[in-house]
Amino acid sequence: MSRLLEVKGIRVGYGTVPVLHGIDIHLDEGEAIGLFGPNGHGKTTLLRALSGLLRPEEGSITFDGKDITGAKPATIVAAGLVQAQQGNTMFGDMGVEETLELSAFTPRARKDRKGRLAEVHALFPRLAERRHQRARTLSGGERQMLSIGCAMMCAPRLLILDEPTLGLSPRLKGELREAISVIAEKGVPLIVVEQDVEFLLALTNRLYLIEQGEVASEIDRDNAPDHQEIMDMYFGEQAH
Amino acid sequence: MDGVLIPTLVSGLLLGSLYALMASGLSLIWTTLGVFNFAHGALMTLGAYIAWTVTEQLGLGIALGFVCGIGVAVLAGILIELFLVRPFYESRNMMLITVMTTLAASTIIERGISMLWGPRLKQLPRVLDGQVNILGAPVSAHEAMIIGLAPTVLLALWWYTGRTSRGRSLRAVGQNQDSAALIGIDVPRTFSLAFGLSAALAALTGILLGSIRFVTPGLGADPLVNAMIVVIFGGLGSLGATAGAAYVIGLLEALLVLWLGLYWTPSVLFVLLILVLVFRPNGLFGRAS
Repeated sequence: MSRLLEVKGIRVGYGTVPVLHGIDIHLDEGEAIGLFGPNGHGKTTLLRALSGLLRPEEGSITFDGKDITGAKPATIVAAGLVQAQQGNTMFGDMGVEETLELSAFTPRARKDRKGRLAEVHALFPRLAERRHQRARTLSGGERQMLSIGCAMMCAPRLLILDEPTLGLSPRLKGELREAISVIAEKGVPLIVVEQDVEFLLALTNRLYLIEQGEVASEIDRDNAPDHQEIMDMYFGEQAH
Repeated sequence: MDGVLIPTLVSGLLLGSLYALMASGLSLIWTTLGVFNFAHGALMTLGAYIAWTVTEQLGLGIALGFVCGIGVAVLAGILIELFLVRPFYESRNMMLITVMTTLAASTIIERGISMLWGPRLKQLPRVLDGQVNILGAPVSAHEAMIIGLAPTVLLALWWYTGRTSRGRSLRAVGQNQDSAALIGIDVPRTFSLAFGLSAALAALTGILLGSIRFVTPGLGADPLVNAMIVVIFGGLGSLGATAGAAYVIGLLEALLVLWLGLYWTPSVLFVLLILVLVFRPNGLFGRAS
């Protein structure tokens, strides 16, 4: 299988504060991977760098054979690397349907926007019910659906989901996870950030543990650790 | 009174139309970038002078005057954004810094115009000759054309920002830059678009104003203050609120001139603005946020 994404030794910081100290991750065509690890250790920073919202000081990002290190976000989305941010309101004063239509913005995404809108409505029927509502009036779960729906409208060739179920009720969590599994079954390559390692293991082929701005370990689904070992990774050996 | 009221209302409508065109340009930049462009009045003036040169000096006709005036203003607007606004996006004091930089642009453009065109008054020709009757009051066809043109341009702008992808992107960038970038909208290019479109509206207003008043280097200065009152009065943000406020202020100004005279009208307008903001902090038509 061919390499879709190759991240090599990227270092990213905010001003003089370094956050990522050289990260290597990769993803093959048709693969889904997961990122997990404690909060504040660089997962979201890594995703911002992938989407071009932050410029890496060192290292390279290659997507689909093209070097996209330091490219503009618009160029990266046009190439098909799309991200659904966590807890994103999108555009508060814009209607749900209008936001989804607008999200098919790049020429590649515009081509089949009707079909893709139907797909998003099938995935999240609630977005169809709320089509004329302003985004700011949506509940937390609906906002998350809108955020993922917008990313789907961009015609992703690689979809990044940042903590898609954070802070949601167990019922909504289940609903969203089901939708994400449907997206994965469609064959859209995924990078999913989640704290729930069991969910990630069910959904993805490989996991990266991001800790203190580095890849602390890489886990294959086929020799996955048990629950206790995961707890150890999170909290150190003292959890015993 | 009857003989005065109708002409006063018509002149109020005319004022409202010009304010609406001008204020919608200011409002466009405000909603997309969150800054006030103090060079907006100078862009009006620039458009009027270019139109005068093309029409009167080169004798190429008013239609080409409109095209060139608007074209040069658009270019100037894009350059202002590129060199005087864009370097300060990351700054926390962006709004204050851009007040200074756009004021600087305004001064430079106005002084440049004085130098290039000299202090003599200029006048642009009317687009239409003759008179029409509005409710029994004789109105010049040219002014009637302006009264009809303004709502048409505003409707087109409303359609553009509400129905087209590129136009919607202006609103999207204004509401959430990161989200806009993550669906593939080129944010800096959208800023250029906002400034260019706004400058086009400024130049259009300037050329129209220059055909009913004299063209002077200070042509845009006074209307700019009133257009800012309009934008704040209407409630920062929506095109409809800005347009509504423009007509309210225009009619009010015309009636105040009739009742109180020219001398006190600007002061009374400011007092009214402050009163409206005391009772409706989000503006006359603004939504509570």
